Amino acid sequence: MAQSIGAYNNVSVEPKEGVEINVRGLKKYFKEIKAVDGVDLQVKKGELFGLLGPNGAGKSTMIRMLTTVLTPDAGTAIIAGLDLRKQRVEIRKLLGVCPQEIVIVETLTAEENVTFVAQMHGIPTPLAKQAASRLLSQLNIAGRKDRAKNFSGGMKRRLNLAMALIHNPKIIFLDEPTAGLDPQARRLVWDFIRDLKNTGSTIILTTHDMVEADVLSDHIAIIDQGKIIAQGKPQELKEKFGTGNILEIQFLHQPDLDVVKEKLQTLPFITKVSDVGEQRVLVSFSGGLKNFVATLQQGIVEHINEVENISFRQNTLEDVFLHLTGRRLRE
Amino acid sequence: MTQDRTKEGKAPNKAFVFSVMSLKQKVRNAQALFYTLGFPIMFTVIFYFVFSNMEVQGPSPGPQNAFDYGFPGMIIYATGLLCNSAAIFFANGKKNGMLERLDTMPVGRKNIFIGGLLAETWFVILQILIMFGLGYGIMNVYYKDVGMMLIGFVIAVVFGIQSAGLGIILAAYAKSPEAANGFAMMYFMPAIFASGALVPFESPIVYFFPPYWAKQIFLQITVDGDNLEALMKSSSLATSTEIGIPLWGGLLILIALTFAFLAIGIAIFQKKTSV
Repeated sequence: MAQSIGAYNNVSVEPKEGVEINVRGLKKYFKEIKAVDGVDLQVKKGELFGLLGPNGAGKSTMIRMLTTVLTPDAGTAIIAGLDLRKQRVEIRKLLGVCPQEIVIVETLTAEENVTFVAQMHGIPTPLAKQAASRLLSQLNIAGRKDRAKNFSGGMKRRLNLAMALIHNPKIIFLDEPTAGLDPQARRLVWDFIRDLKNTGSTIILTTHDMVEADVLSDHIAIIDQGKIIAQGKPQELKEKFGTGNILEIQFLHQPDLDVVKEKLQTLPFITKVSDVGEQRVLVSFSGGLKNFVATLQQGIVEHINEVENISFRQNTLEDVFLHLTGRRLRE
Repeated sequence: MTQDRTKEGKAPNKAFVFSVMSLKQKVRNAQALFYTLGFPIMFTVIFYFVFSNMEVQGPSPGPQNAFDYGFPGMIIYATGLLCNSAAIFFANGKKNGMLERLDTMPVGRKNIFIGGLLAETWFVILQILIMFGLGYGIMNVYYKDVGMMLIGFVIAVVFGIQSAGLGIILAAYAKSPEAANGFAMMYFMPAIFASGALVPFESPIVYFFPPYWAKQIFLQITVDGDNLEALMKSSSLATSTEIGIPLWGGLLILIALTFAFLAIGIAIFQKKTSV
């Protein structure tokens, strides 16, 4: 039977087979603001767990608690069998943390920055230098002998990531690792994160980028206003909370939603019509191309002169978030 | 990895690694170097040209000039700037997230403080070596003997560490490195003048400023003193207001202030940065 090692203020959590991180009732308040408000979640060993939510949802606060920087106000967690509240130093030995902000020493070179972190993890200097050189090559920043202050934003962010991974951590926290990167650099980091998954490390990725969460994560938790509002595999979430295919119509003027709704709702395959602001209406429907054409005919042919743009897409995590909260991720 | 580590050498000392990183940051920052080395050198050169031709009658035999008495103040001014330097360094660690990043590693604040103070100590040694080279080597400033000059060196290092301690206190309250620098300037510039360390100041108020004690001890040892034994037993610090504080009393004040500033600085900084 598993031993109960994580107990705090009547909240207890136990190590579980195959579970790397087990969080129970975690709370952190900053005065009146409930940054994290009673979160429960489990991250399996070796999986890439996406924590998806808008800015200010509580993602970074969660990460800061799980990486032992912030002390929770309530609740606790077991990380790799260790108690978050009682075994902080042991937990730190297992972690690689890539913070949301770029935290590098600008007066040092890339290799000096990465070697410094490796040494702080107790890796002897010759090994640290070898590992730094290898890792920087993988992230396309090898060969730069000048100081980091001369690097581009993308290079600094990749260096930020390298500093989190130099000691081959068992558990990796990536807090918005691609924020501010151009599409090419973002792809490079995505590929790198996919490769990381193959090393067997457990990865916790926070992002407000639904595409990033969708393509990288094995499992996703959606967090909003400090609470987990949904959890599951990306496809499961889309199937469960999505509303089928989506036709997005942008009008030149704010449409009379009641009129649009009335017309569209005569069609049996229409599941939802939502006004998302900025003269845009989302029409969710089931079925294939036939229904798509029918929706167009019924919904907008009469108003074709008032339509600025039409787009069609399949369900995304953005739609899941919209369904659950009534808001968009970036609002 | 464990096997490799034993083959390739042992784990480095984390405080030492942190101090090397911090020292590299300091010496590669041209602005900070100008501030902590350029300014004292500039003042020393100006004071030299203004005061080196003014002969004074000091207690020691031999020709002496006003600059011989002013040079200890230059040393104290230079080492006192570590207050700014340490305030900026620790406030920067807070602001740019490096401190928080280090908190996610198995490092411990103890190593960070020891490493940070080691870096400040190395830097102050470098600073004093340059100032001594300029003063005693190039400008031919009077000193009693080499032994007393070395003791003066140690006094200056202790005062530098004391100033770094004060810098940590200021960094604890500052929201940014710029604010830390501002706080340090607000303290240091009045203190260096009100203590009479740079220019003589005839007022009992000087006793309330740490640079006063460091400068008086340095002056007594390197210029005025006979020898260490005599100084410890019988001499009083040559204070402007003629109060009879023996040299060891001044030393005690200097060391007590150093420990107090460091202890208070570390305690407050820890409290303010733990969440």
